[in-house]
Amino acid sequence: MRGIGSFEKALWLISVLLEVGLTALLLYRKNYRTFPFFFAYVLTVIAQSAILFVTYKIWGFNSQASRASHWSTQGLVLVARALAVAEICRHALRKYRGIWELAWRLLLASAVLVLLYSLVAAGFEWQLLELNADRGLELTIAVLVVVLFVFAHYYEVAMEPVLRFVATGFFLYSCFSVLNDTVLERWKYAYAPLWSRMGSLAYVASLLLWNWALRERQTMATREATLLPDGVYRTLAPEINMRLKVLNENLHRFWYPEGKRP
Amino acid sequence: MSFYLYLFLGLLVLLLLAFIWSQRKPARRTITPISLKLLEETGPRHVTYLPAIRQALAGADYDFILRRGSRLLLRRFKKERRRVALAYLGQLRGDFQRLLRVAGIIAVLSPEVTAMEEFERLCLTVKFRWRFEMIRMELWAGFAPLPQLSGLGNVVSGLSVRMEMAVKELAERAAMASALSSSLDRRDAD
Repeated sequence: MRGIGSFEKALWLISVLLEVGLTALLLYRKNYRTFPFFFAYVLTVIAQSAILFVTYKIWGFNSQASRASHWSTQGLVLVARALAVAEICRHALRKYRGIWELAWRLLLASAVLVLLYSLVAAGFEWQLLELNADRGLELTIAVLVVVLFVFAHYYEVAMEPVLRFVATGFFLYSCFSVLNDTVLERWKYAYAPLWSRMGSLAYVASLLLWNWALRERQTMATREATLLPDGVYRTLAPEINMRLKVLNENLHRFWYPEGKRP
Repeated sequence: MSFYLYLFLGLLVLLLLAFIWSQRKPARRTITPISLKLLEETGPRHVTYLPAIRQALAGADYDFILRRGSRLLLRRFKKERRRVALAYLGQLRGDFQRLLRVAGIIAVLSPEVTAMEEFERLCLTVKFRWRFEMIRMELWAGFAPLPQLSGLGNVVSGLSVRMEMAVKELAERAAMASALSSSLDRRDAD
């Protein structure tokens, strides 16, 4: 394959081996039943690797055809990854119906906001359209994972270790991708080889994490947690809300003693 | 171009910080069953010591030592007072956090949660923490915000009493629902 260094080739080979290993683990441990979207994501990535391998072999790494095939398959991979992250979020919170209803709206709103922000920040430079779209989606995925973790931490919801590891893998890789895309945009092709290596290393690290997390069979509890009777929150929430307002006023008075009041 | 570069980098740093924060203290328990023990503990604990603490921090003692005692004794006295006030403030925060935790459990175990109410609670927590840190810094710096400390005690005490009522009501409703469910089950069995 012309245009690819031996180090990049080695990294690519390692990542393909890890992807195949992950697929085997998902099948052998029957974890594809628990994580169908994650399984679909891994298969999409393997398919992308195969397509790119053939493309690079025929036209070379730096050709226009290779570039076009990379960005077109990357779109599919990103959509598959976003669905896999959504699946992780659902597994983590669906037991708690009330906060899950709140969480998915919050996650969706975050995703839309970050995508809009990315488009605005990109300044609609059509020459760098693929790069900006890629960065926007990667940033959205990173934000989704962080919002999920922050939400779980705030409500003290215990997340299964496997969900933590898989989500962390997504977060690390997406963060690296955003960083790489941003720096690549700034310094153009002077940074390209290093960009490629960094991205591959981050991806290998994420694959290692996923392989380790899914080494055993996972069964997610499908049953909802024992919830309070209907209407308890509806009855108590306005009362608590009122109390919180009183608390707010007290705190305000507390912070601005009579003499200091503006 | 540079502006957006730094904006993206800043956003990444923020994301990393939020990620680290969320990993700071992993939840050690699942909130599936209602922790009755926790609910019992929601009453005001350290707030009840407020009169004693106020007595300990009273200005009369300070004036007395200022008139009669040595400079060394006065310094030691101030240091001890500050230590007591800081310890008390820490315990007040514990009370406050316990109460908020109960509110969180109610939210997690409810089949329906309203975003506005949850958001308000979040704002309150942020405000409390900010003000708490401000007072702590003032105390640490050697100021004596005794009126503020008293105000904070009132706030926590008020919330404790109200939360106690809410929790009692919640327990009654849960018991009622459980009894209703059992009677329905029996009727089905018959």
